[in-house]
Amino acid sequence: MRAGHRRDRMPQPGHPQDDAAVEFRGVSRRFRLHHETRTSFQDWFIALVRPRGKAEEFWALRDVSFVVRRGEALGIVGRNGAGKSTLLKLVSRVLEPTSGDVLIHGRTHAMLELGAGFHPELSGRDNVYLNGSIYGFSRRQMGERFDRIVQFAELERFIDTPVKHYSSGMFMRLGFAIAVHMDPEILVVDEVLAVGDAAFQRKGYEALMDLRARGTTVLFVSHSVEQIRDFCDRAILLQEGRIVDSGPAAEVVDHYLRTMQEQAGEIAILRVRAIDRSGLPLDAVASGADLGLEVLLRVPPGGSTGDLALGLDLHDRAGTHLFGSTAQLPADLPAFDDLDPGTRRVRSVVRGLPLAGGTLTIAATLQRGALGTTEPLDRQETQVDVVGRWTGRERGILRLDHDWEWETEADPSATGPHLEHR
Amino acid sequence: MHHTPLPVTGRVTGRGETVASQALELVQYRSLIRNLVAKDLKVRYKNSALGFLWSLLNPLLMMVVFTFVFTQLLNQHIAAFPVFVLTALLPWNWTATAVTAGTASLVDNAPLINKVYFPRILLPMSVVLSTMVNYVLALPALFLMMAIFGRPFTPWIVEIPLIVLIQAIFVTAVVLILAPLNVYFRDTTVLVEVGLLAWFFMTPIFYPVEAVVPHLAAWMYRLNPMAAIVEDYRVILYNGAVPDPLFTGRTGATALVLLAIGWLVFTRLSRNLGENL
Repeated sequence: MRAGHRRDRMPQPGHPQDDAAVEFRGVSRRFRLHHETRTSFQDWFIALVRPRGKAEEFWALRDVSFVVRRGEALGIVGRNGAGKSTLLKLVSRVLEPTSGDVLIHGRTHAMLELGAGFHPELSGRDNVYLNGSIYGFSRRQMGERFDRIVQFAELERFIDTPVKHYSSGMFMRLGFAIAVHMDPEILVVDEVLAVGDAAFQRKGYEALMDLRARGTTVLFVSHSVEQIRDFCDRAILLQEGRIVDSGPAAEVVDHYLRTMQEQAGEIAILRVRAIDRSGLPLDAVASGADLGLEVLLRVPPGGSTGDLALGLDLHDRAGTHLFGSTAQLPADLPAFDDLDPGTRRVRSVVRGLPLAGGTLTIAATLQRGALGTTEPLDRQETQVDVVGRWTGRERGILRLDHDWEWETEADPSATGPHLEHR
Repeated sequence: MHHTPLPVTGRVTGRGETVASQALELVQYRSLIRNLVAKDLKVRYKNSALGFLWSLLNPLLMMVVFTFVFTQLLNQHIAAFPVFVLTALLPWNWTATAVTAGTASLVDNAPLINKVYFPRILLPMSVVLSTMVNYVLALPALFLMMAIFGRPFTPWIVEIPLIVLIQAIFVTAVVLILAPLNVYFRDTTVLVEVGLLAWFFMTPIFYPVEAVVPHLAAWMYRLNPMAAIVEDYRVILYNGAVPDPLFTGRTGATALVLLAIGWLVFTRLSRNLGENL
């Protein structure tokens, strides 16, 4: 049914965009909201007995059309949830459009997450070849690039060490080094410059400039509007899945900043995400492991974070409010990113996440004022999967650290109760 | 600068809609198949002291257990029982490990699927291939037992690769259906565990097919390709005879039909993986 739908929307021949590298023609992308999907047979049977209403839908992109020409760098700006990531995932073919056409002319490499596809047990060397083949590169092609990749990543001494022993910096350096040595014709960059130390950020930025100088087409998303202004020729501004402005990068960025100020009363949450111990973003966390949360705030020049309260609230798939906590922020939070002095970072750690499994929605809310008399300023959400182990002996949404105990007769040396720790 | 032959290019819509375009893509990504298989094997053997020896030792220990239970406790009289059971146990282990790991292959690789495009079908396929390599490497243990128990090595052994191919096709078909199903219903893994246990008993592994009520034996072959595959291995390696070509042909045809169904199911269900993982 869907395939037929797509065939109807094949673009008409005779309108070739000869110098187009990426072309979107009336692209829309719909998501069904998570709490409506059935991921166990139990849910499925319940749904059979009790037919649900129409699934709740969310259009991440609506009727988006644009062209990126060869050698051009396009910045994509917009608030969280405006559709930036969905757009990049469509370009990198991780997602398919619900309707419309995405045309890609050239070899594409997507840097959506550095080191995606690394296997912790394998050495850096094996991972370079494995990662290369994930992007369709042969052993020989990776062999030609191998020395340059290792040199760029500054990992000569550790290349035969399993990557599970790498620091987060080493891990990202290797991921970045592989990406920039793939000679892509089209490069998709999503926030990857926001991680790592200052030296690595500079090196990465220079490598991207170098690729750009050699004619690579770049689609660029960054929370740093300065980077977009410096790096991109043109930009598009997304708002609730639609393109509301496009043109020279500096103009679109200014437009974006103006709308941000109008919308959010100057201070806003740029991003909330789950991170691991080393600060790398997470899609999934193991039940019982530590879950880090990171919130980036944008504070205009001269603005203060005093008088602000940041709340974090966890909901499960069914919408149950699992936990919430609010912190009163200090007035003198330092900027965390040299390139963008307006950003502040707040982190939180949930130790030993006591959840059995499922998708966790994390909401960050920013409020002004003390308890009782608060004025909401901004709210952002993200999701992370909690991966549990199904033992068949435990039930419920929580996974509590528990013991079973009983007396044992057989063992006279045992003085206390027998403990079985699981 | 642009010498890379791989054209990851073209339209996003309409991709992978024909068998030909999917097959072409698999050829382009052959180095990924090789690397995924190599990774599976490396990771499997890296974390245990005995490494590869375990994949030989495990079926041999199982063989000892079965032999003790059936020839000593139950007093069954089957000549060279260790060879009898091992001819079926080794291919069964391949199927069981491939189905278990293959079912989980998409869910386990969710972070990768959400970040990089590559033909998703390679994930379950590489599981079948790496477990197949494991099986083939364990065959010398079977040959050793055949020599010890004086079973005949006949020229029909050349037919073994054909049976391995049929089994590979069949197992791929099963995994192509279960892997995407597991994305939509995460408890598929649990059902597969129970299903494999039932399947194990429904397959003539530790008992001869002659022991099955005759009219049910015919149904066993019809409904359970594994029974037919195991029987072919056993005829060649235990009886030292040639399997009925018609019987083998029917099994092969069944496997191919199932593969076509599995491919259709996978193509259809895996379209929106990025959204559901």
